[in-house]
Amino acid sequence: MNVKDSRRSFLKQGFGIAALASFSVTSSYAFSLQNPGRDRADAKYVGDKTKHYVMVLDLRKCIGCQACTSVCKVENEVPEGAFRTFVTETELGEFPDVRKAFLPQLCNHCDEPSCVAVCPTGATFKRKDGIVVVDNQICWGCGYCISACPYDKRYFNAKTKTADKCNFCAGRVDQGLLPACVETCVGGARVFGDANDKTSEVSKLLSHFSTTVLKKAQGTRPQNFYISLDARLEELLETTQSLDDIVKANEGFKSEWSKIKTEVPYHG
Amino acid sequence: MDNASHILTLISSVTLEKPWGIDIPNYFWFTGSSAAAFIISSFAHVFGWKQYKPIAGVSLLMAFVLLVAAPLNLIDDLRQPGRILNFFLYGWENFPTSPMKWGVLLLMSYPILIFFEAQSLYRVYFVKQAQKSQGMTKLFNTLLAFGNMDLSQEAQEKDHKKGYILGAIGIPLALSVHGYTGYILGAVHANVMWHTPLMPIIFLASAMVSGTGLLIILIPLFQRFLSERKRVDTDMVATLARLLAWFIVADLVMRFLWLTFSLTFANEEKYALYRFFELHFEDTFWIDYVLCLFIPMIIGFTKLRYMPFVVYFGGIITAIGVWIFRWNTVIGGQEIPRTTAGFLHYSPPIFGQDSIIAIVSNWGILVALICAVLLVFPWDEEMNDCYKGDSHAK
Repeated sequence: MNVKDSRRSFLKQGFGIAALASFSVTSSYAFSLQNPGRDRADAKYVGDKTKHYVMVLDLRKCIGCQACTSVCKVENEVPEGAFRTFVTETELGEFPDVRKAFLPQLCNHCDEPSCVAVCPTGATFKRKDGIVVVDNQICWGCGYCISACPYDKRYFNAKTKTADKCNFCAGRVDQGLLPACVETCVGGARVFGDANDKTSEVSKLLSHFSTTVLKKAQGTRPQNFYISLDARLEELLETTQSLDDIVKANEGFKSEWSKIKTEVPYHG
Repeated sequence: MDNASHILTLISSVTLEKPWGIDIPNYFWFTGSSAAAFIISSFAHVFGWKQYKPIAGVSLLMAFVLLVAAPLNLIDDLRQPGRILNFFLYGWENFPTSPMKWGVLLLMSYPILIFFEAQSLYRVYFVKQAQKSQGMTKLFNTLLAFGNMDLSQEAQEKDHKKGYILGAIGIPLALSVHGYTGYILGAVHANVMWHTPLMPIIFLASAMVSGTGLLIILIPLFQRFLSERKRVDTDMVATLARLLAWFIVADLVMRFLWLTFSLTFANEEKYALYRFFELHFEDTFWIDYVLCLFIPMIIGFTKLRYMPFVVYFGGIITAIGVWIFRWNTVIGGQEIPRTTAGFLHYSPPIFGQDSIIAIVSNWGILVALICAVLLVFPWDEEMNDCYKGDSHAK
């Protein structure tokens, strides 16, 4: 090899290494496709890729005690006025044929999450084990994800001033514990587990029972599966009238909306 | 559905807070009006329509200030404004699916482009002022001329060509900078009011309306009180009013398409929208449509457009009407329930972040910026030259 060639190859290699190094530095720190935590492949950010966590909610067992609602607030220090999960309480039927129905709701950890797609800072993302999380060190609080979620399961956390949501208690799950709401559910209505594991309780429930998801038409592929979900419950949630308004109109109180009709012409 | 309401009653649920408040409709109004002012300036600079020449320079400057003031609304809306850098550093994998990601890039490039276009338009005037003046004024004007003191015919031709190219690039950029805001809403498939592919077009059409309306008020003000001429070019205002009327026609067509499809031929979502427009029928129909669109349209298409105060009324009322439309879309869309029964209600706070005071301040900044550009740029001389048919005026 003559001097010229060796110089050329030195330069080639040198440039190659420099380019590679600068690219890798760039991709992990300066202009990231994702965010620093994911670039570092931090376990907290990535999760266990062999798992796919889902929740099955057996509505036959839900008694509307709100234990999940309160334990979630305590476990995750959810600020006043905000909820990661709650149970909607409804009445079905007309007197004397009435019963109560409950609908526990939480983030659906969708496989095609619309909240993640619109995030301009990469602060919210889906871990490889299926849990959708928010990095509150990165989020700039624009609220686009909150608008984008069809389930209204995101809120602004007044303490961190960022978007926040249910994360299936990822910290507990990473340590092999159950999410707090599942742990505390008195009727055993909430079942959490790995859908990839065919011996898990969720896998068995999913194969033994017919299940359904909320707002399937949104195309977000929700990963919370409901057993015995009455379709009318979902309709009620989208109805445009609240009981509060009807009562106000009936009792002659000044309502927020001046034209509330008690007749309810369509859709609630 | 009818049955559901009789057999189901909601006993308890939570009341949600929605993320976007008064800042967002105000921001949309600003970007839209900016895009419209830019398009009107391009009528002369790019398409060569001579009748718009005298106001092309001022329109360009208005496009600039509106777009400099607009993003301040967004910064106020952020809960963590100190983390703006994160936007540029992270999350680029969401670029194809997050219109907000496109928007910030557009918001940065567009005012720079307008500035350079305005610079090429006014360079000759900066040079003349620099030659007339001493000290700081001379230095300042030399800087604005980018040190190019050549007043030859060739140099002016070059400026003209540069202005033309920047104007031509600016047209799609102006349409994008406002069109993307329609995407921001249209992309939210969870919101029954926003989720329509027509949203960017509706936003563009109504933007042309608000921007033209704004110019109908501003241009007479500048001509009457701030220019050497001291009188209003009523023919120009009438031309703008007629243009406004045509933009209103376009806007009404778009809204007609949107409302007919979403209220009549849509899926499930039509019930919520039907109820929404029923509740808001009076303010939407009488204020938004009759007062703020039909009446200015009639003014623009009839001889009324030559009557000064009638036409100013038409201009101001369309500008306000489009603001109301932005509000009804952004706030109204979020009021529609999706997981809890009953409409939500929003009224902006008076003080603090995302409040009425914040909006008033933003308008204050706009007024200050208008004063600043009118001082710095020799718009008056350029406008006069256009009226005289001087060769300097492009």
